[in-house]
Amino acid sequence: MARDRNSQVDYARPVRRILIGVLVVLMLGTFLLWRIDSPRVERFRATLVDRVVPSFDWALLPVTKLVGLVEGFQSYARLSEQNQELRRELRQMKAWKEAALQLEQENAKLLDLNKVRLDPKLTYVTGVVLADSGSPFRQSVLLNVGARDGIVDGWATTDGLGLTGRISGVGKNTSRVILLTDSNSRIPVTIQPSGQQAILAGDNTAAPLIEFLENPDQVRPGDRVVSSGDGGVFPAGLLVGQVALDPERRLRVRLAADYERLEFLRVLRSHAHEVITDTGGLIAPPPPPAAPLAEAAEPAETVAEEGTDG
Amino acid sequence: MVDPATTQRWGYRLLFVALAAVLLFLRLLPLDTMPATLPGPDLLLCLSFAWVQRRPDIVNPFLLGALLFLSDILLGRPPGLWAALVLLAAEFLRSRHQGSAEMPFAIELAFVSGTVIALAVAYWAALGIFAVPHPGLDELLMQAIFTLMAYPVVAGLSRLAFNIRRLSPGETETGALR
Repeated sequence: MARDRNSQVDYARPVRRILIGVLVVLMLGTFLLWRIDSPRVERFRATLVDRVVPSFDWALLPVTKLVGLVEGFQSYARLSEQNQELRRELRQMKAWKEAALQLEQENAKLLDLNKVRLDPKLTYVTGVVLADSGSPFRQSVLLNVGARDGIVDGWATTDGLGLTGRISGVGKNTSRVILLTDSNSRIPVTIQPSGQQAILAGDNTAAPLIEFLENPDQVRPGDRVVSSGDGGVFPAGLLVGQVALDPERRLRVRLAADYERLEFLRVLRSHAHEVITDTGGLIAPPPPPAAPLAEAAEPAETVAEEGTDG
Repeated sequence: MVDPATTQRWGYRLLFVALAAVLLFLRLLPLDTMPATLPGPDLLLCLSFAWVQRRPDIVNPFLLGALLFLSDILLGRPPGLWAALVLLAAEFLRSRHQGSAEMPFAIELAFVSGTVIALAVAYWAALGIFAVPHPGLDELLMQAIFTLMAYPVVAGLSRLAFNIRRLSPGETETGALR
């Protein structure tokens, strides 16, 4: 009996080892394939996520809400403190509201005077955040809107106030948003009073870095940062946040969007810009087509011959 | 007639899959979308390593491979690399187990520490070689340390809650090596 088992084990172990080897080679092969042809494998990933995550949907939302409820209950405990704080903030906000109303009126007047037409095509789709990246080194969220809702890779997302990220990876019913804090995120921005262009580079911290700034002396902490629209990926003028200095005196951006809790995100539909490729005719309109030109040339010749005869 | 040991083994396998699914689910919950200052432990890694050394018959390499690959896909890692490395590491720990049925926990922890740190370094090196944008070695090692801190807890809880412990040589005879 014991010998029997031993002989079985002797067969089973090499076969098993080979199978495990094959499995490992397959996995490493997938990795290599991903490295060589990333878009195809990422499309496969998007499809798989599209299958798996919405089937968790029934559980994802209630559990998230439940934890939110518990956190809400905790904050309930320090209600009076919060009340004070809110009153203080409300007073400040009222002052701001006055200022904002005046500015709005002024702005409306100026726009009217200038006959400015804001882009009417900038509409949005709102999606619910289903899941986050689940990895400490990636900052992304999954939305419950996808190709079915007309979402396209590269569109900007905001939380209503500030820019949060861009769409990267679209499934049928879901799409992934790479947040500005992700270490792969690079966004062209303008820093407002000085109008300088820079790149906002996420580095896996709450406040992304400002890179490629031409003249850092003209930028002060507290300056507004908006998207610049360079590169044609993003609409220009979306609020990103405020400049801040970190302890190492590097310029960072304190984001306007509330990253503590992203529940709903707006995906801005941006349409392809018209691209002007040629420099255009500088002086004369383009020459007429060849055939009429030939016809026109003959009478001119006869005229010229007559001229020489005469 | 199904052997009761087989039934039990498949029960435990289902339990393993369910636990892995719960861990994955918890990590996907959009509770905190702020970037974390410290990376948390990789609990799926703790669970697989703790179980593969206690009950190697439960943690089937193909099951483990499938779970790891799925988590690679869902968590946005480069697909396949981490799964392959962890699978090889688990097989290494399994082969260690074969020799010594009675292993003090301190030695086990030392082996697991070596393996987890080697995993982090190998992962970092592989990503570097293939020029994939990747987290720094310090961050990966930090995560490895948190994983190691969580390891005794996971091992203890598996023992308390699910009675996952090393089988004595007599018991291994009944549940064959598979």
